[in-house]
Amino acid sequence: MEEKNKSIGKAVNRIDGILKITGKATYATDYPIKNMAFAVIFKSTIASGTIVNLDTTSAEQANGVLAVITHKNAPRLNEKGGIRGGALLQSPEILFYGQHIGVVVAETFEQARHAAHLIKVDYQKKEGKTDFEKLATSAGAPRGKELADLIRGDALGMLDTSAVKLEEVYETPIEHHHPMEPHSTIAVWEGDKVVLYNGSQIINGAQAAAAETLNLKPEQVRIVSPFIGGGFGSKGGQWANLILTAVAAKVVSRPVKLALTRQQMFNSVGLRQQNIQRISLGASKDGKLISLVHETTTQTAIDSEFLEPCGDCSKVMYEVPNALISYKVAPMHMMLPTYTRGPGKSTGSFALESAMDELAYKLQMDPIELRIKNEPQKDPSNGKPWSSRKTVECLREGAKAFGWANRKVVPGSNRVGDDLIGYGVACGTYPARQRDSSAVIKLTKSGENVFAIVEIAASDLGTGTNTILAQTAADGLGIPLVHVTVKLGDSDLPPAAGSVGSVGAASFANAVNDACTKITDELLARSAKQFFIRPTAYQLIVSENIKNYQTRVDAKAPKEAEQYSAHSFNANFAEVRVNALTGMVKVTRFLAVTGAGKILNPKTARSQIIGGNVWGIGMALSEESVMDPRWGNFATRSFGDYHVPANLDVGKLDAIFINEEDKIPNKMGVKGIGEVGIVGVAAAIANAIFNATGKRIRKLPITPDKLI
Amino acid sequence: MRPFKYTGANSPSDALKLLIKNPNARFLAGGTNLIDLMKEDVERPDELIDLTRLDSTSFSKISFGVNTAGVSLGATGKNTDAAHHPEIRQNFPILTKAILAGASAQIRNMATNGGNLLQRTRCSYFYDTAMACNKRSPGSGCAAMEGINRMHAIFGWSENCVAVYPSDMAVALSALDARIKVMQADGNVRSIPIHDFHRLPGDHPEKDNNLNRTELITSIEIPTNKFAAHSAYVKVRDRNSYAFALVSVAAGLVLEGNKILSAHIAMGGVAHKPWRALKAEALLKGKIASTANFTAAAQAEMTEAKPLSHNKFKVALGRNTIVSALEIALRGAESPI
Ligand SMILES: Cc1cc2nc3c(=O)[nH]c(=O)nc-3n(C[C@H](O)[C@H](O)[C@H](O)COP(=O)(O)OP(=O)(O)OC[C@H]3O[C@@H](n4cnc5c(N)ncnc54)[C@H](O)[C@@H]3O)c2cc1C
Ligand code: SF4
Repeated sequence: MEEKNKSIGKAVNRIDGILKITGKATYATDYPIKNMAFAVIFKSTIASGTIVNLDTTSAEQANGVLAVITHKNAPRLNEKGGIRGGALLQSPEILFYGQHIGVVVAETFEQARHAAHLIKVDYQKKEGKTDFEKLATSAGAPRGKELADLIRGDALGMLDTSAVKLEEVYETPIEHHHPMEPHSTIAVWEGDKVVLYNGSQIINGAQAAAAETLNLKPEQVRIVSPFIGGGFGSKGGQWANLILTAVAAKVVSRPVKLALTRQQMFNSVGLRQQNIQRISLGASKDGKLISLVHETTTQTAIDSEFLEPCGDCSKVMYEVPNALISYKVAPMHMMLPTYTRGPGKSTGSFALESAMDELAYKLQMDPIELRIKNEPQKDPSNGKPWSSRKTVECLREGAKAFGWANRKVVPGSNRVGDDLIGYGVACGTYPARQRDSSAVIKLTKSGENVFAIVEIAASDLGTGTNTILAQTAADGLGIPLVHVTVKLGDSDLPPAAGSVGSVGAASFANAVNDACTKITDELLARSAKQFFIRPTAYQLIVSENIKNYQTRVDAKAPKEAEQYSAHSFNANFAEVRVNALTGMVKVTRFLAVTGAGKILNPKTARSQIIGGNVWGIGMALSEESVMDPRWGNFATRSFGDYHVPANLDVGKLDAIFINEEDKIPNKMGVKGIGEVGIVGVAAAIANAIFNATGKRIRKLPITPDKLI
Repeated sequence: MRPFKYTGANSPSDALKLLIKNPNARFLAGGTNLIDLMKEDVERPDELIDLTRLDSTSFSKISFGVNTAGVSLGATGKNTDAAHHPEIRQNFPILTKAILAGASAQIRNMATNGGNLLQRTRCSYFYDTAMACNKRSPGSGCAAMEGINRMHAIFGWSENCVAVYPSDMAVALSALDARIKVMQADGNVRSIPIHDFHRLPGDHPEKDNNLNRTELITSIEIPTNKFAAHSAYVKVRDRNSYAFALVSVAAGLVLEGNKILSAHIAMGGVAHKPWRALKAEALLKGKIASTANFTAAAQAEMTEAKPLSHNKFKVALGRNTIVSALEIALRGAESPI
């Protein structure tokens, strides 16, 4: 195919863009199913204890109510079936504040919501573990092996003898994913099979967990999720609301819709945990790192462990001969934490990259030069060579594009009126991986045109997966983009990995690409003709006059990839204005320079990066879920007090991709950009605020009160 | 949300009659606050009497020179219309700025001037029916007192309630010495100075203001002022838009050359009502307009602040915000948007 006709690498518009802006895209609750009933969940108002009495009489008698389901009458479920966060109504025991304790099903949503208010609950309270500040002091080692201590050399010993030392504590609060589309489900039983319309980042994972939990076989559960209104990790695993919808539909023998409210989202579908990170750096006078200690103290649910790996960036970012990376965790009566965009990396990089900035200031070095000075030639955590690493290029090119040379070295010295202006830089990284995925391609000839249907149980979070798969197929088959239809988001399709951990594009696109190669190979083998240049599938179908043809591929990551360390890397540049009197911060400019291998679609890729940057701005400046330590409830209960950035908080954003050819992680050379866009952002902003004001804020979010 | 009946009123007196008939009825204006609170089960009326059908009457209009030489804002007029009215932008720019500093464009399009005055506190324990709250259920206690009270009061609170009143518009109205015109059950009209309209919590935090249940706000009367050219509204908040104030200040300076003839300063986010900074005003009267004098006055105003465990920062922030607003007012002629 001629380069100019290729679709991959072009800033193609989303193929489902029109559907979305005209409201025709069907999100989970958008299916007009007949005879639907509506369910509303109600929740515990204690964090620890037992329900001793649950009076549902008036709710049951309220207008329109079809059923009230609680632990007393819920069907037995398999609590180890892979649903995260418990709350499946299997016992009267309460393990966190806001645990689901029942579901009301009624003819209308309003009737169900009203009846939910009529339920009376008596508890036997137990003293809850809800005060993280206190519990942190007695936190212990995590149970999970993947977060065992990383010990290299003698980090503590060498720290003591280093010429320049720094030891600081960095804190990040609980954050919530809060996708625009709250978690919601429609469940429709057809005999002993159930169809679940439900936003799912991992289609087959949701299917498996739902089936196991409901004591069904996977083939008895179908997940339908062609469009997802965001997830950011919270729709990676599935939560009790999915199952409770299926249970409710079973109980009332009707299709049931259940959507969580924004308030309920605070304690239903995971969260990013609060972290206390202690970083110690030891360096020589000329800025060579000698020792790095990164100790994270964090929290988890009382009965289940999840930790985000805050030390991950510290493992790979810099050449440092002595390192100690460790974790402590305090189990609490709280909602189970879960994967949250850039898990561990976004929070960990805030600590590490703030500390690097502090070290640069101590050394009187440019923070960019300090980073370049400690650039590792291979992965320091395992000695493997990089598949590719363009951190230095990111830093250099970013510095030029951003005008880093205009930065005033002395903090607080750039003042215009009441505003203090500052520049900051920070790096970030995220691993690049391909996961097993299958795909089917079906070709149909119609006149001189060949139409393709691509089938894969991939998911599109709203990121543009649909579009890049259509581009991949168009190029792989030699047909125009508009002749490709992508079917995804359905567990009836060939199984695939999920849109999680930045593996989506690499896993799905390689599967589709492999399927294109395979279909071309098969068609070529069938043909008696001789070709000097490898023909496209399109040419073969047309020249052989084949009406229909299809093939399936089960794609796997290349074995050689394991010999290498593969990551995306970035450098983030922030310009802030801080009002000297009021402490209000505005990020006036932000630039992310990213090396992420092959960029399949610069437009959707840019949206991914700047979207990550915007959340990073929220993380740096405003987002915080405040838990009341007395009771374990959230004092932040709505978007009125959980402050995601508004338009006025976001200045000019820019994204640059470094040209990077790297076929090691996968054949298409795709490294993934879903997460890396948020990694390093908060640190770049905190560093800019230091440069602007001379104030080093080590506790996020950096609200006005911390700056006056 | 509990089931409720919806009734439309045809005239202000009709609305009052309907309200008197049912002790559990409430007026509905834009609904941006009341409906939210009903969804949370905090407000539980069984009937809503819609005032917005009265749109065509003076009840919804902006008129000039009615009783005073100033402006009269009809109670069901929309916040957006008040903010963007050319004469208000020109002669009452702090009102425009204060309204536009609140909520979002969509909410302001729904929100009415009367409803804005009566919006309830944003204390998160007030919203959460599982929590003790004297304002929501008198005698149950105050969860905020020893709780997460970062957003709460530093002036005028009582042991019973430490909530703040959240309106931005009302802070400007306080600096402008507005009066609230009210129709009573018998059809009589009274006019309440804004300073006496909202209350401090005292022993009755359940009462936000001095409006009786069977009274209807008909308009807000704002007298002319001499500080339109030298006024400012500064709102400090956790994000640059769509967040309630940590502290806000409406300030106007009447100047003769460099001399302050009078200063008009009101604060938001610090008390159960718009907090008129009378001490600072008294100190500035007759003084030279200078940063040093602004700072001294602001400092003096804050000396009586009694911060809570999580809002100590409001003392310094309050001082700085007063200074910032006075500086901007002094520079003057800033466009309202
Ligand atoms: C997310 C969000 C953010 C917001 N942010 C801000 C902010 O930053 N700053 C700010 O100032 N405000 C903010 N607001 C509040 C908003 O300004 C108010 O909700 C609005 O002004 C209320 O007006 P309304 O007409 O909708 O009142 P309604 O909700 O209809 O009524 C409020 C109350 O007033 C009573 N009432 C209404 N009209 C009359 C009348 N004429 N006579 C007697 N009683 C009457 C009603 O019975 C009810 O009790 C925010 C609101 C939301 C939802
Ligand atoms: S401060 Fe007032 S509104 Fe808040 S909990 Fe206490 S009594 Fe209720």
